[in-house]
Amino acid sequence: MIVCVSVVGHQNNPLYIQSFTDADDALKLHHVVHCSSTSSKSESGTTLNEAFLGLLYPTLNYKVYGYLTNTKVKFILVTTDLDVRDTDVRNFFRKFHAAYVDAVSNPFHVPGKKITSRTFAQTVSNIVGSYGLN
Amino acid sequence: MVYPPFSPFSLEYPPLITLSQLVLEVISEDRLLALRKRAELDSKYVLFLNHSELPLSLPRIASAFSELALAYYREEARRIKSRIEKRSSTSLDLIVRYCFKVAVYAEFRRDWGEALKFYEDAYHSLHEMIGTSTRLPAIQRLVEIKTIAELLHFKISTLLLHGGKLTEAVIWFHQHKSSYDKVVGSTEYIFLHWEWMSRQFLVFAELLEASSATVQSFSSLNQGTAQIPLTEFEFYPAYYYQLAAHYLQNKKSALELLVSMSVAAQEIDGSSESITPSVYVGQFSQLREKGEALTLHFITDEEYIRYAISEAKRFQDSFEIVAWLKKSYESFTNLKSRRMAAFCAFEIAREYFGLSDPSNAKFFFDITVNLYRQEGWVSLLWEVLGYLRECSRNLGAFKDFVELSLEMVALPVTSCDDFGNLRDKTYGPGGPATVSRRESIHREVFTLFCRETELISSTEESGFKFAIDSPLHLEIDLVSPLRPVLLASVAFHEQMIKPRSLCSITLSLLSHLPLPVEIDHLEVQFNQSTCNFVVRNSQKPLVASPSSTVQSGSQEENEPSLVLVPNNWLRLTYAIKPEKSGKLECLSVLAKLGTRFTISSRAESPAAMEDSPVWKHENYVQSLPTKDPILAVFGQKATQVEEPEPQVDVSLGASGPALVGENFTMPIVVTSKGHAVYSGELKINLVDVGGGGLFSPREAEPFSLESHHVEICGIDGAEGNDESESETGNIKKIQQSFGLVSVPNLKEGESWSCKLEIKWHRAKPVMLFVSLGYLPQGSEANAQKVHIHKSLQIEGKMPLVINNRFMLPYRRDHLLLNRIKPAPDSEDISSLPLNEKSVLVVSAKNCTEIALKLMCMSIELDDEQGKTSCLIQQGGGGGETSGSANLAPGEEFKSNTVSVLPKSEHVLSYKLVPLTCGQQQLPKITLTSVRYSAEFQPSTIASSVFVFPSAPQANSTAK
Repeated sequence: MIVCVSVVGHQNNPLYIQSFTDADDALKLHHVVHCSSTSSKSESGTTLNEAFLGLLYPTLNYKVYGYLTNTKVKFILVTTDLDVRDTDVRNFFRKFHAAYVDAVSNPFHVPGKKITSRTFAQTVSNIVGSYGLN
Repeated sequence: MVYPPFSPFSLEYPPLITLSQLVLEVISEDRLLALRKRAELDSKYVLFLNHSELPLSLPRIASAFSELALAYYREEARRIKSRIEKRSSTSLDLIVRYCFKVAVYAEFRRDWGEALKFYEDAYHSLHEMIGTSTRLPAIQRLVEIKTIAELLHFKISTLLLHGGKLTEAVIWFHQHKSSYDKVVGSTEYIFLHWEWMSRQFLVFAELLEASSATVQSFSSLNQGTAQIPLTEFEFYPAYYYQLAAHYLQNKKSALELLVSMSVAAQEIDGSSESITPSVYVGQFSQLREKGEALTLHFITDEEYIRYAISEAKRFQDSFEIVAWLKKSYESFTNLKSRRMAAFCAFEIAREYFGLSDPSNAKFFFDITVNLYRQEGWVSLLWEVLGYLRECSRNLGAFKDFVELSLEMVALPVTSCDDFGNLRDKTYGPGGPATVSRRESIHREVFTLFCRETELISSTEESGFKFAIDSPLHLEIDLVSPLRPVLLASVAFHEQMIKPRSLCSITLSLLSHLPLPVEIDHLEVQFNQSTCNFVVRNSQKPLVASPSSTVQSGSQEENEPSLVLVPNNWLRLTYAIKPEKSGKLECLSVLAKLGTRFTISSRAESPAAMEDSPVWKHENYVQSLPTKDPILAVFGQKATQVEEPEPQVDVSLGASGPALVGENFTMPIVVTSKGHAVYSGELKINLVDVGGGGLFSPREAEPFSLESHHVEICGIDGAEGNDESESETGNIKKIQQSFGLVSVPNLKEGESWSCKLEIKWHRAKPVMLFVSLGYLPQGSEANAQKVHIHKSLQIEGKMPLVINNRFMLPYRRDHLLLNRIKPAPDSEDISSLPLNEKSVLVVSAKNCTEIALKLMCMSIELDDEQGKTSCLIQQGGGGGETSGSANLAPGEEFKSNTVSVLPKSEHVLSYKLVPLTCGQQQLPKITLTSVRYSAEFQPSTIASSVFVFPSAPQANSTAK
């Protein structure tokens, strides 16, 4: 189950962070997302010139995956699943990237500012809901 | 001597018999052979030792022992392995035991592969025992299994790491953790599980740290398998130390909960004393007295739990946690993993906070908070600031408390749901990051320092008893985290203003505090303190509070209200009248809130203003600091106040171009035309005009230092103003390209002059800069100098060119000397016949635009050589030399001067009779004119002449 998704700016600042859990661990997830962007993979990207960064950071209860766009904006996915298929994560990030591009293409969105679009939040919720169903 | 290798003696493992040489002397060799055959001993197990050669024999004994031991262990292992294979015992615990034995024997034989295999077998068999074994009471059964699993895991990890199999070791640890992660046992006593888990991570961290297989580069490692992907963190001990600390934290809190809830836990200490670890790994037993003998008995789970709790209570887990986290923090810092290091620092700080050690907690919270501020992680920042705020309260640091509270309330926390739905119930002491919480902290802090004096005594509940009475002043600069509390933007409406005339200035204040704040008064400070002014809030009573920045009697403005509404600019425009010329800059804006609280915010130009790191990514409606959009984009907090118009004239009385070699005189006249002149200083600069541009004096200096082509020779002082000169100190500094002269005090209408002497060594144009600085109103303390600048370009010219030529005597009657034109090959005649007359023609050509008044022109010989080298006669005279005079007197004019018109030449001719053969130097030619004198000494090649002997007289001699 996906418990948190986040968009992190190129100064490692949070642009969007949403957790999907009722448990009292939202703050913990913020810590997890913050720490995960410290790995060398997330800072330099992969050598294969690929957007998908793979597993970034293993915590006790979560797995953190990353994705780096061409504009050096990072997407972070936190899941509680033990067995995660790479293809599922890749598919998720592909959809998420498309939703992000739509959100920042809004003429009222100022680049570099936090994403506050409700449509984006709804799209992200749908993508998270459909994760792993295929 | 006979060494039985193992007891009981067995023929399968023959004894090693060493016989000393002495035995051989007593017993015959045949008898020994018979004895050996009788005992069925192989000859290699019977060694003869010579005591004198004992050191040489020892390796033989060692190898024999080793061979025997290996054989024994191999055989033992084989025997036990056969039992495992036969599955003669279905009991899993026996299988574990057998596998362990075989593995240990394999280790003895250094057969690491087999050791690893059997340890792993033991480990897997052990795991199967979970839930199946009934040998011990439930809790103790699991404790035993986990203890043995830990031992086996330790063995396996050590073997893998020693073999350099780092990735395999990490994967193995991963599996080990996963296998036992959920094997919690009784949830009531979960602290046992957390303690065990913590130990697993700690032991692996230490193994990894001690291992020789260090991580060279993450990319070089095989990053796990498809099933178990690994990240670089999992190869660093820091990661495991951090998690060991995390599990110990779990254990600590579980134990605390258990102890607080269990009444029985209070009475455990007495009965658990006699319980000790058994000789069997992972088991515990009780020592009981039976008559006089002491016997060991199994214990019940209740007894074991009591014992475990009492043991666990003995340890100070917090210190362990802090120590491991510190290791982790240092390691991550060295690895430049700033965010992981910051997280560890946060955990350390929380632990110290729990231990009621606010100073240590503050140290580590400060490390964390800086990173969160920088990167704008508002939710995390809020949490850490909440902790820091409590630390400062506990430390009694009132100023810190107020600063941290204000920073917290000025954070962009808009609501619960807008930012990461923080429904976390495990908040820090700061509480949840919500608007209502921001508002309540805002009220708390403003009540604290804005309340009236009589209420101070009731503020003890806030933790501050004494500090609250003293005034509190906060400084906010451009990098301060408190910048969102009060942002001061200042813009002058004009970039250049006249002195003593009104200019408009717009003061814009912005606050991100959640509630409106009413300001008592504002003090605006400038670099020219006379411009400082106060803005008062009319609704507040006028309190005559002393101000260190604004002098009494300075400008005061009144506003009907001074309220900072959240996220809205408060725009105020006033007119100020600067007195002094130069830069006028607004430095800061000081806001007074209540009787004791002041905030001073550094003034910022709207053109250079940026949002603070926590606010710059926020998507909120931003308004401009000024209504005028141009001012909001280009406005500056500084302006330039012009100087008053100078009413003094400086004139440079140059006349014509300067000539090389002469002392060129430049009269400088200072005339007062309205202003009196006090403390006047005249600065003179000579600047080379090169390449069409002008060098500044400083840039030009290095070039002109080596050879000053043009230099200032002197400055003649004032004419008739000696008294006033001495009064002003008479500054007079002259360097080659720079001069400084003090100008005496002049009243209105007076004038003063001096003469500047400049000498040109080369024909170069120079720029002369003269600047006069003076005080128009005498020597007042705050008076400013008025400057007047003048410049003049002066050409330096070569006045005349002197040339010489030799001519053969036979052509003399046919030449009109005045019309001789320089031929291209004129210098070809560089040789003269000895003792024969040649004609030397010297011409001086006037190159200037003015007539040159020539006084004399002469030719001189060196005293030493000249008398013997040649003979010179005045041209046009008789053919005979005039006695012994070998020096031509030259030409003098006593109408005194002869005028040489521009572009024309004056020519003199001499008869020259060389007296010596060989290479000779030309005599020196001297010329004196009305304005200057010059000597002609051309280059060595041009002035040297070769004198050859005269034609040989061989014919006449022969006759």
